[in-house]
Amino acid sequence: MISVMFMEDHNMEFFDYLFEDAAPGDLILVYGPPKVGKSIFCYQFLYSSLVGGEPCLYIVADYGSRQLEQRMMEFNWFLRPYIQNGDVYIIDLLTRLAGVKVEDSGTLKFSSVQNLTDLMVKVGVSTRSLFRKSSKFRAILDSLTVIFAFNPPNLVLRLLKAYKARISEARGIGVVVHTTGTVEPSIENSLMELADLKLCFDGEKIQAESSAGEKFVQYTITDKGVKNIRG
Amino acid sequence: MKRTYIPKLDDILGGGIIDNASVMFSAVPGVDYEAFGYQMLNGRLKDGDKGFIFTNVAEPETIVYEFRSYGWDLEKFLQDGQAFFVDGTSPFMGLPSDAKYSIKDYSQVEEAIMEAIEDVPDGIGVINNLSTLIDYLGEDETIDIIKKWNLHGKKYNTSLVYLFTKWDYNSNLIQNLKKSMDCVVEIKTIEERVIIGQGFMVAHSSWSEPSDTMVLFFVVQPGGVKVYIPKILVTGPYNAGKSTFVKKISKKSVSVDRKALSAFPTTIALDIGHLEYKGFVADVFGTPGQERFDLLLDVLGKESVGAFIIVDSTAPQTFARAKEMIRKTKAEAIPKVLVANKQDLPGALSPEEIREKMKVGKDIPIIPAIVTEGRGVTDALEALLGLIYGD
Repeated sequence: MISVMFMEDHNMEFFDYLFEDAAPGDLILVYGPPKVGKSIFCYQFLYSSLVGGEPCLYIVADYGSRQLEQRMMEFNWFLRPYIQNGDVYIIDLLTRLAGVKVEDSGTLKFSSVQNLTDLMVKVGVSTRSLFRKSSKFRAILDSLTVIFAFNPPNLVLRLLKAYKARISEARGIGVVVHTTGTVEPSIENSLMELADLKLCFDGEKIQAESSAGEKFVQYTITDKGVKNIRG
Repeated sequence: MKRTYIPKLDDILGGGIIDNASVMFSAVPGVDYEAFGYQMLNGRLKDGDKGFIFTNVAEPETIVYEFRSYGWDLEKFLQDGQAFFVDGTSPFMGLPSDAKYSIKDYSQVEEAIMEAIEDVPDGIGVINNLSTLIDYLGEDETIDIIKKWNLHGKKYNTSLVYLFTKWDYNSNLIQNLKKSMDCVVEIKTIEERVIIGQGFMVAHSSWSEPSDTMVLFFVVQPGGVKVYIPKILVTGPYNAGKSTFVKKISKKSVSVDRKALSAFPTTIALDIGHLEYKGFVADVFGTPGQERFDLLLDVLGKESVGAFIIVDSTAPQTFARAKEMIRKTKAEAIPKVLVANKQDLPGALSPEEIREKMKVGKDIPIIPAIVTEGRGVTDALEALLGLIYGD
């Protein structure tokens, strides 16, 4: 089971409930329509990981690494100290595309949404670095939308298989975010088949589905992130 | 013959590549190998040849930037007209392109590269990346196009270098790709849960009979592809036979402990050797067994690509210490072989008894050995190389 209970006063017990069937090495697919809190969930997952002493890899594909920090600050989740400590490893796929001249630094690497080979090189380097830091770590890819937009869908599926194998081999927990309706149904089905645990966000409830069965919780988004609405 | 500009590769290929060779660098996902193609191009441009890069993975400006980070001035060659891009990226990203050839639709790619080949007679073209082409064009069409490009390359005496990421393609496709090339260089990882090293070996060459040596390398900026001599760790409890093992496995060895003590009264204690076996070259580091030297273990373990764990088969009371040393050297995250030494002594446990007592998984070979007589040493080395090479 993966614990996200490190953050106090955040009404997070329901996360543990959703994750109780997940284990190290698993790939979790977070999916749903736009604007239902998928990325906020990822920030929360990232931050709880760091607060709990587990390092984390975060791949930002839809916006830049600076925006990641800014967006998390809106919830009072400050990433900077963890970046400085090398506890979070960020791969930024968009900033260079926007024409910004940026250099790689210790744990902040830049790649391109079209260069999936290079992305996997950086995933390999980061998993090595995180594994050496801690035998438990998490890896989040937020999200597939832009990657699908600029690559053949089959190639993206190949990337995901390699990504899953790499994270799984190192016994990390992988999270991948997907916005429904952005690819053909057949590709979406293949995505679902790759995941060990699927979390479907619809704006009101999170439906969890794994080999152990299905369950759901009601949720809302507050200034403290994704919050359970107790029934 | 033309040089590849990749260290050691020319030696393995018998001096370089034939002038109009088609060469494929085939790498598993996670290996940093783009520099192989870029380094070959840069070397050829500096020699005065013409060249081009077909890119479908990054816009030309990013590639120029990458060259700069390696310390290579591609911009100068672009300005002089000695090099140019076939841009298969910018139009797909909605970006303007001032490349000589710009691909707006994948139906144009075959013709554009045919023309590019004609533009660089006696030169070189780099195709980055073949995998993306396959997923855009389909497997059969890609193979057909490659054959046409390679024939065209022969006609114009142009070397073609393909970068291919070996995603989960079916084996038939990979075999057909290999058959279409004059030379295939496999780029592999050394891994144990995570990637800890990478190496290249020539899988096929139509003009030479290359050895199956794997050359370990890393990619540095600036510099590009650099080969290095890997470290092999020999660890285990006190009096297990590590020093003797280092001596037996090495062509040359020295015990720093003894040397240091005779010349300088300090307590540095390392056995250092250099091994060369079937083309594999490595430096061997034997760690001290005593707990007071444990601080050294982490440092030595970090850069090693493989480890021998030596245990005294007659001393099960030391097995817990052996496991502790594996943990402290981080050897759980590198390929490793357990050497069950002193098999000739009374009371020696068999490899399977040791496996059970130490609770070691089946994935870790346990080799019975009498190191003082050299017995089991080669078997242990073969087993470790098998793990490192991933065969």
